[in-house]
Amino acid sequence: MSTLSHRPASTEPMGAAQGNGAQGLVGLSAPRVDARAKATGEAKYAGDLQIPGLAYGKVLRSPYAHARIVRIDASRAQALPGVIAVLTGDDVLDINPYYGHAIKDRPLIAIDRVRFVGEPVAAVAAEDPQTAAEALELIEVEYEELPAAITLDAALAEDAPRLHVTELLKPGLFHGLGELKPQPGNICYHHAFARGDVEEAFAKADIVVEGEYHFPAVYQYSMEPHTTIAQWGDGEITVWSSCQHPFLVRAEIADLFGLPVANVRIVVPYLGGGFGSKSYTKLEPLTVALARKARRPVRIANTVDEAMVTTRRHGMKAWMRTAASADGRLLAREVRCWFDTGAYADNGPRVVATGADAAPGPYRWEAVKVDSWGVYTNTSPAGSYRAFGATHLQWIGEAQVDEIARRCGLDALQIRERNLLRPGEAVRPGGKPLDADLIGDIQKVAAALDWGTPKPANVGRGLSVGLLAAGAHPVSTAFARLEADGTATLYVSSTEVGQGVRTVFSQILATELALPVERVRVQGGDTLVTPYDRSTGASRSTTLAGLAVQRAGQELRAKLLEIAARVFGLPEEAIELRDGAVWHEGESISYPDLIRAHFGMVGGELIGRGEVRPEKGTGSYAEGPVFWEVCIGGAEVEVDPDTGKVTVRKAVSVADVGKAINPRLVKAQEMGGWLQGLGNALFEEMIYDEQTGQILNATLFDYHVPTIADLPASFVSTIVENEDGPGPYGAKGVGEGALAGATAAIVTALYDAGVRVTELPATPERVWRWLRERDSAAAGGAQSARE
Amino acid sequence: MLRRFVIHEPRAVEEASALLEAHGPEAAIYAGGTELLVVMKEGLAHFPHLINIKTIPGLDTIEASDGMLRIGALATHRAIERSPVVRDAAPVLAELEAQIANIRVRSTGTIGGNLCFAEPHSDPATLLVAWDATLRLTSRRGTRDIPAESFFTGLLETAREHDEVLTEIRIPLPPARAGTAYERFKTHERPTATVAAVVRLNGGTIEEARLAVGSVGPRPHRLRGVEAMLTGQRPDADLFAAAAERAAADAEVIEERFESVDYKRHLVQVLSARALATATQRAHPRETGGD
Repeated sequence: MSTLSHRPASTEPMGAAQGNGAQGLVGLSAPRVDARAKATGEAKYAGDLQIPGLAYGKVLRSPYAHARIVRIDASRAQALPGVIAVLTGDDVLDINPYYGHAIKDRPLIAIDRVRFVGEPVAAVAAEDPQTAAEALELIEVEYEELPAAITLDAALAEDAPRLHVTELLKPGLFHGLGELKPQPGNICYHHAFARGDVEEAFAKADIVVEGEYHFPAVYQYSMEPHTTIAQWGDGEITVWSSCQHPFLVRAEIADLFGLPVANVRIVVPYLGGGFGSKSYTKLEPLTVALARKARRPVRIANTVDEAMVTTRRHGMKAWMRTAASADGRLLAREVRCWFDTGAYADNGPRVVATGADAAPGPYRWEAVKVDSWGVYTNTSPAGSYRAFGATHLQWIGEAQVDEIARRCGLDALQIRERNLLRPGEAVRPGGKPLDADLIGDIQKVAAALDWGTPKPANVGRGLSVGLLAAGAHPVSTAFARLEADGTATLYVSSTEVGQGVRTVFSQILATELALPVERVRVQGGDTLVTPYDRSTGASRSTTLAGLAVQRAGQELRAKLLEIAARVFGLPEEAIELRDGAVWHEGESISYPDLIRAHFGMVGGELIGRGEVRPEKGTGSYAEGPVFWEVCIGGAEVEVDPDTGKVTVRKAVSVADVGKAINPRLVKAQEMGGWLQGLGNALFEEMIYDEQTGQILNATLFDYHVPTIADLPASFVSTIVENEDGPGPYGAKGVGEGALAGATAAIVTALYDAGVRVTELPATPERVWRWLRERDSAAAGGAQSARE
Repeated sequence: MLRRFVIHEPRAVEEASALLEAHGPEAAIYAGGTELLVVMKEGLAHFPHLINIKTIPGLDTIEASDGMLRIGALATHRAIERSPVVRDAAPVLAELEAQIANIRVRSTGTIGGNLCFAEPHSDPATLLVAWDATLRLTSRRGTRDIPAESFFTGLLETAREHDEVLTEIRIPLPPARAGTAYERFKTHERPTATVAAVVRLNGGTIEEARLAVGSVGPRPHRLRGVEAMLTGQRPDADLFAAAAERAAADAEVIEERFESVDYKRHLVQVLSARALATATQRAHPRETGGD
């Protein structure tokens, strides 16, 4: 035995689940570790930071959807007192100024040509924001307007004006989609797959439903618009930015400005929401270029209308047909969809692929054929937005399933019970098999909706279920320090975007180290300090970065046991970690004492590392996904037949998360996702003038984002914990599924109420028109069908 | 972003009027800013001089006497919503004010600012037109009263002269056996269609009916053809259906970004039928909720 005095560690209970050993803190709704800082205003966002010598940037944006820049005269702006620098395309010709993580199609500032209304044409750095704004008005730009393709149809037309010489475009650093082949015309990307003989399946089908559908461009709306500060130093660049993926931004900035990645530092403060709008690279290249010219640190902060032209959700049109047998067996589905990616690819190719993956829905098909295209148009670029792809396609596929159910006399629950995939079945060849109990999940939704009970007139109930390829590339690292006083500091690069990732990671590390959550501190993302994490998106942080955190904790745990075994003179198996101490039977040594014993002084620290990488293969998109995120929802809606207005009476979510590390945060994700899904279903739509390409509703007056007043009267959320995820404790990601599930459930509930939705959002006017069409069709004749 | 401007803080209406005259089109009245600052921020208008009349004492009084409800133009929506005087004398107005925009706008925005900005999608304007309210305007040249309906001359346009300040809204309190109903349809920040109906009964017939429609056109206005077809008739569902159909046809409706003209006409029809039925119900002396 050691000569150290063995003092019992704190006997304070650590929580209700104390008896569960290492599982102790996981599964409890620990309070958010950042709640106090955010509530008191102490939490710092990119707009709060003050850097010595900071200058303020403003951006002059194109008023034209497509034009040649004939001439820019910035001399009057440059001469305005207080102006430090004016940046134009001429200032970036010494570097290769094209970037894009998927396709390098975008100059960091317009060069000779503008391709959408709002494209940055010049940027001013000044001593104060007012002066910068006033300087913009002094910049003279002469444009020669070019024919523009604003809509998908215009861009796909035979004689459409071309936005890019697509054959010459270079792939970006992280498209992750295998070989990117050059595409003709305005096609940015094409993703297709086919299994089985679709024609034969449709030929033998008793029931075929078919339709054309439209999904609008949607604004992600985070309360904090994009904000970036850049500092250009001696061969070093430092960027403070509201970005979700600091390491991917670092790589793109290093690539653009010809520096080693180690010379580029990206620091990420708190983010006021992202929802995908801050994924990949946004304002950073422009801000760095302006700082380079100004030789001063510069901040560019978007306004809401600027955020709207920085990124958005893809608008889409789709054609889909589904075949079934008379007894309700789903046979085949064929889909063609076109995603409007705007003037630049941004994350378009991934959205196109994810949409294609979501198109069949989680059913057992004899044959499937999907073609999905990304299309360049002269509108603001489209990228990521919570549950992309799934939100686009799930409502369409689920609407067709319900049409088939009605035709063969089944209800919406029965047809799904009959056709849904079961755990372990292939979702797509070569990819991850189904890792969720979808039938169990949908039955829970139905139960929460009082399925089968009578309902009032004009009320409809709907279910929806789908899958989202989640996790992105499975590469994350973390390390943790156990300090000499027994507190732990965690270094991990996941961005705290409001989802509560710092709280969840604190819980994981606290659990592994048998420490109270309050003794764990999580460092914010800083590429100079915190280790590599691929990204914060695709519902991946708890699952993948969380696994890296758990492994870092496990390594620390192993070190503690190893040292304790030495000190106690016992085998490791005889020792356990509990309440911040190592224990053998009734005797304990606190971590501080153990660390002191190890180093022979008061000081030193133990370090644990965690690494996550593909378990087999390369972790490519084709081999994936890391897990299938369950997109499930239920809704009860009421339609006002006089006005077409839809009210959601009841919202239902089932969070199939494997293991809820923090149930309250899971439910918050479900409710937030649901409310955004409601906005996508019923009122959100960016309206572009089809001639000028101007956004007609580019303010929050005219673009209605759901508010607390739009919350359904009742919200029922159930958490399913089958411990079937690849993350820590069997967890898998949450946060996106509810959005796609909600949007589709509202559509299927409307179908139940007698409204066949073919275009979102289902505004009152559209619903009113569909009701009128239905009533005149009911007077006129039957639907076309092969029965 | 907001460009630089000078803010003036007069202590009297005459002083504000003088400042407006002095700075001409470079000046605008600031009476809460929930509309003005938005258009300035968006760069749609710029006024180097803002005249803050919120600093003038006494312009936010709310009182009722001698059959007249008088609301100071600087009363905020929130103050009107919560005023015991308004709740007692004109509960429909209190309810309407409680629904405007959101709590931030209601706490800062004033009824006078709302009316003078003449955004056609205004809630109070439609009701005030139906109520035959008068608006009191004051300048260094004197004071005049103008009927609410004549005040609104077009899209974002009013009869207010540049140097005039709206000081008071004067609402004649309805006599016995009169009922008011306000109906609106809203899916955006501002309503898409607004309809206000006033019905006064005598025995079993309609002695007087007033129907105002707003938000669908450039300005709120009365539908006198509809009012005429109601007067002297026995109120019933068929009458209201016919009146609502006529209202949809007569209303001045313009093409805007969102809803189409035919849908907005349809909304006028739906809301008119609902408003007339409710107002009639409230006109019966024994019904609760009447005013």
